[in-house]
Amino acid sequence: MSLGHEHHGEAGHHDHHGPRVLPASLAAPEEAIKAWRTRLLIVGGVAALISLVFFTVSGGPDHILRAYLMGYMLSFGFAGGGLVLLMLQYVSGGKWGLLLRRPLEAMSRTLKLVAVLFLPILFFMKRLYQWAAYPDAKATAAAYAKGLMTQEQMLTANAKHLMLNPTSAIIQAVIVFGVLLTIMALLNRWSVQRDADPEAGSQSSYDRWRIKFENLSGIGILIYVILLTDASIVWIKSLDVTWYSSIYGLQFLVGQGYQVLALSILSVILLSRYEPIKSIFRTTEQHDMAKFAFAFTMLNIYFCFAEFLIIWSGNIPDEIPWYLARIHGGWWVICSLDFICHWLVPFCLLLSRDIKRDKSKMIWVTCWMIFARSLDMFWLIEPNFKDAAGNLHLSGNFGILAYITVPVAILSIWGAYYLTELMKRPLVNVNDPHVEEILEPEHAH
Amino acid sequence: MPRKEGIYGLIAEFNTPSELVYATEQARAAGYRRMECYTPYPVEEAAEALDFHKNRVPLLCLLGGLMGVTTSFLMETWVSVWAYPLNIAGRPLFSWPAFIIPAYEWTILFAGLSAGFGMIALNGLPQLYHPLFNAPNFRNGATTDKFFLCLEAVDPQFSLDGTRAFLEKFHAVSVVEVDH
Repeated sequence: MSLGHEHHGEAGHHDHHGPRVLPASLAAPEEAIKAWRTRLLIVGGVAALISLVFFTVSGGPDHILRAYLMGYMLSFGFAGGGLVLLMLQYVSGGKWGLLLRRPLEAMSRTLKLVAVLFLPILFFMKRLYQWAAYPDAKATAAAYAKGLMTQEQMLTANAKHLMLNPTSAIIQAVIVFGVLLTIMALLNRWSVQRDADPEAGSQSSYDRWRIKFENLSGIGILIYVILLTDASIVWIKSLDVTWYSSIYGLQFLVGQGYQVLALSILSVILLSRYEPIKSIFRTTEQHDMAKFAFAFTMLNIYFCFAEFLIIWSGNIPDEIPWYLARIHGGWWVICSLDFICHWLVPFCLLLSRDIKRDKSKMIWVTCWMIFARSLDMFWLIEPNFKDAAGNLHLSGNFGILAYITVPVAILSIWGAYYLTELMKRPLVNVNDPHVEEILEPEHAH
Repeated sequence: MPRKEGIYGLIAEFNTPSELVYATEQARAAGYRRMECYTPYPVEEAAEALDFHKNRVPLLCLLGGLMGVTTSFLMETWVSVWAYPLNIAGRPLFSWPAFIIPAYEWTILFAGLSAGFGMIALNGLPQLYHPLFNAPNFRNGATTDKFFLCLEAVDPQFSLDGTRAFLEKFHAVSVVEVDH
């Protein structure tokens, strides 16, 4: 089709078919982003203040801590997921990758904040994890004698001791953040150097940078998947020390893809009200990204259901209680809502071509997806605790409402930091052959 | 069916897809609706210019998928609960989790088949005769390197002289009258 389009341009028949030009300034629209950031900070502040109320409720502090873990995992999902999607678009190429690159870079740079946010969890580890409260065989035996642990919990905690103990958890966190921060720093530094390349715009420059990014990203994705598997096991899965599931890490990976794509689409749609994204954002790319989000919606339910089906078929006492604790005693409401919000609603909405191509409707869909991911995280975390397993109740347990306010506060603060990082760089990576393509008219292949 | 007689439409031949797309857009703007583009390969802009994206294929695909999921789920339920009840690991006869995967596969199968066959049916295929092949330049050109726009005589806007004059504005290689 390129021939045809050149012809169009020359004939000057209609402007919307001719290639567009990049605006003179590629800087992020600071005023708009600052306004969004202020709003987020207000929401975050209000949510944090309301959260303080739960300190006065019985069981409140524990719930605040658990809700903090939930908010933390969602923030980690955005930061780490942003990093892995950034690496993915470097190895896969494509115009959507160019469009999302700077938002994804900004998400990955929030890893610094996310690493700091991990400290409270390390500090209050004993209140969250059984293996931290009873860190060795002697302690677990004593806890078992007092009836604080079941025999199975005691035996599995002893068997998993090498991975699940306070020292080892600290070492694992240090490795996870050390490696991820290194990869993040390299990718972000190179991206700036790439634009500043004196040979920018030449084939040799394109090739050199493409290969450099690909070489780190390829191995980086593998490393990320391994580290995320480890982190999701230690941080979330080990809340129930007896449970086994080999798909857990991948499930988190796909969940992160789901939430990061939702946030990325949301970011570029909102940014497309202003230059420079206004000039480069085409419906074609929005459609592509929405299809990608649709694929993640499917993959997500596929993993969740596969895990359930395998455990349901096996029906063995080691694994089944994990689901029973999440279905019985009122939890079936959350479980069904999780399925409906997480899969059914986005699936049905994203089936429609018109919704995928509509900016304002996609804003709602993506916000919904982020909410659904949070609901899923609640369902994963809360039933791990003895007072909540198979027993979802509100009376005398108002602390559970902290799951609404604390994650909102943390995500708002995270969001404000993300926007701050987003403002620091021009929104288009110019030394990339895709820039020319993305300025072509819609449908140009 | 009575044999149709008279003129089917006017067909304009172009050398490039852009000229075709431009002429199509102008024809649409001039109020023509009963028209069709014929190209040797898919030209998305032509589909856009014809406003072709709204068709019934997605609906057929959706209906096919719903039919697949219902058929399979009900069939599995019938087999497991009434026709051939088996005690499998002491589970209830209606063990719906086990039905999901076949139901999912049937959804995809039925959706795919109804999209494929539905598309063929909506295109009016198989079709043994099409008047356009009466145009001498169409037979070779449309499958190799020519781009055609046909304005059909059933369109209320159509008039032999007026439409010919309209099409000739676009520097078409030729504008040919096609008989039924």
